[in-house]
Amino acid sequence: MKLSRMPLLVSLLVLIFFYLPMGMLVLQSFNQARFGGDWTGFSFRWYSELWARRDIHEATWNTLRIAMTATAISMVLGSVAAWCLHRYSSRLQQLHRSLVYAPLVIPDILMGISLLLLFVHLNVPLSFNTIIVAHITFCVSYVALVLLGRLQDFDESMIEAARDLGAGWGTILRRILLPLLGPGLAAGGLLAFTLSIDDFVITFLLAGPGDTTLPIKIFSMMRRSSPQIINALSVIFMSVTFAIVILSQRLIRPKP
Amino acid sequence: MKFSRFFSFAGSALLAGFFAGCGRDDRPVLHVYNWSDYIADGLIAQFEEAFGCRVVYDTFESNEALYAKLQAGAAGYDVIFPSSYYVSLMAEQGMLQRLNHANMPHLKHVDPAVLAAVSLDKEMTFSVPYMTGTTGIAYRKDRVPDFEASWRVYGRSDLAGRMTFLDDMREVLGAALKTLGHSLNSTDPAEVNAAADLVIEWKRNIARFETVGYKAGIASGEFWVVQGYNGDVQMVIEDNEDEDIVYALPEEGFAIWEDTMAIPAGAPNVELAEQFINWMHSPEVAAANIEFNYYHCPNTAAYALISDEVREDEMVFVPAETLARGEQIRDLGEHLSLYNRAWDRVKSAH
Repeated sequence: MKLSRMPLLVSLLVLIFFYLPMGMLVLQSFNQARFGGDWTGFSFRWYSELWARRDIHEATWNTLRIAMTATAISMVLGSVAAWCLHRYSSRLQQLHRSLVYAPLVIPDILMGISLLLLFVHLNVPLSFNTIIVAHITFCVSYVALVLLGRLQDFDESMIEAARDLGAGWGTILRRILLPLLGPGLAAGGLLAFTLSIDDFVITFLLAGPGDTTLPIKIFSMMRRSSPQIINALSVIFMSVTFAIVILSQRLIRPKP
Repeated sequence: MKFSRFFSFAGSALLAGFFAGCGRDDRPVLHVYNWSDYIADGLIAQFEEAFGCRVVYDTFESNEALYAKLQAGAAGYDVIFPSSYYVSLMAEQGMLQRLNHANMPHLKHVDPAVLAAVSLDKEMTFSVPYMTGTTGIAYRKDRVPDFEASWRVYGRSDLAGRMTFLDDMREVLGAALKTLGHSLNSTDPAEVNAAADLVIEWKRNIARFETVGYKAGIASGEFWVVQGYNGDVQMVIEDNEDEDIVYALPEEGFAIWEDTMAIPAGAPNVELAEQFINWMHSPEVAAANIEFNYYHCPNTAAYALISDEVREDEMVFVPAETLARGEQIRDLGEHLSLYNRAWDRVKSAH
């Protein structure tokens, strides 16, 4: 029987559809022309202009600070949430579960506006901290979700066995929980990290003066700046994001 | 173990995040909210040095974004750069401070001719002009040798697929209103609807509504006729040393716009904000900004300091008799919904 070529064709088309625009972007970032378009010569001009832009460096640093802080805190909160959801199944936990799921389906704009109203109402000045709080609210859900999946394969009898043999909770946490759940936790954290870096809508609404993050910066540059600096920046950004995704996939993969 | 390294990484990242805020200097801080790439390179650093302060410089991409940000309660900016038609709206809503001219001696340089002809806030009560420019048509004369300076060019089906409009309600409906001989701030429903009908007719011939990519498009020859801002078009011409791209101001009329500097209500450092606005109108600084932006900063003392090439460029310094054909975009107030409806009709038409 002759195998159909259709699946191959479709996957190729899908791959082209996904990755051709990114390929074009990478190519254009090395184009000498200020407004892109026609190829006028290979050049690192935009990378060196990017290097000289203090405002973009600040925005990058802001983005990383927010992402790292939000990730670290949401990893702690998310793992505690996942543990409770896994261990207990009372009515309260049912409510807890839907509360953890909610930020995954609530549109960004709604979340941003409601947080903004809250902060304005409470007279909390918009700042770095308001952005971080907002990012934690959606990052926690992702961390908890990834970890919940991991917990489903987790054998509880190991904990019982350990306790039978006289291990305290500290030892159990260190010797059993962390080694087994660590990769899932790390993967959730990396997912949260990329989401935090990418977020525009919520960050835009909650940023105070001076809290420009990269997505906000790029958006404001669209109108007047050379798109080529943005292309160069996107290439660097893309490489970092890909590296993080690859790293997180390696962590998720069960050890042989 | 892999994960333990990850945890030490996450831990140090957390600490870095928390402590990065420490070690700040105690110089006074000025918060500026401006359009991106709208000030000559290095000027901000010069200001910081001259006034012993630190400038926090944020950028926005539209008046709507600026307005939304301030309206939502983002207090904390000292100097903002709204377009003049937004100044009237913001002033009405008490979002701007009255300016104290005694603290800004350089305002004497502001060009009275521009204040009279272009500015909406002619007394500089709430805002000081920063840059003015025009919205016109750029075309490739190698492709469209028989171009006439008229918005009617968008009716030419032989150029179909080679033309773009800005993706901007006021600019596009304004062009159509001007073509029909009306004010581009018309509040007569019949006039605005007729303008929308005309744009729908034109829409058949345009490639798309494009605010960002038209510069690359005309540079590469993908587009032959584009609606654009004079400074943007000039940047394309300069950068490509392209003799074939020409900027024209249509005979029916065109939009004149002005971006201004203003101090929002509740600005934390009004004194420094006044010094900044004053300094932006010192002749050398204004001259540097004209040459950087290819827009007209109305500062009479700066005109002598810029190169002859820029000063004699009619794209930057529009002659008075040409400027007389232009009209300022004004705030529409309650009539905005009339335009929104017309624009929705344009956007959804096939």
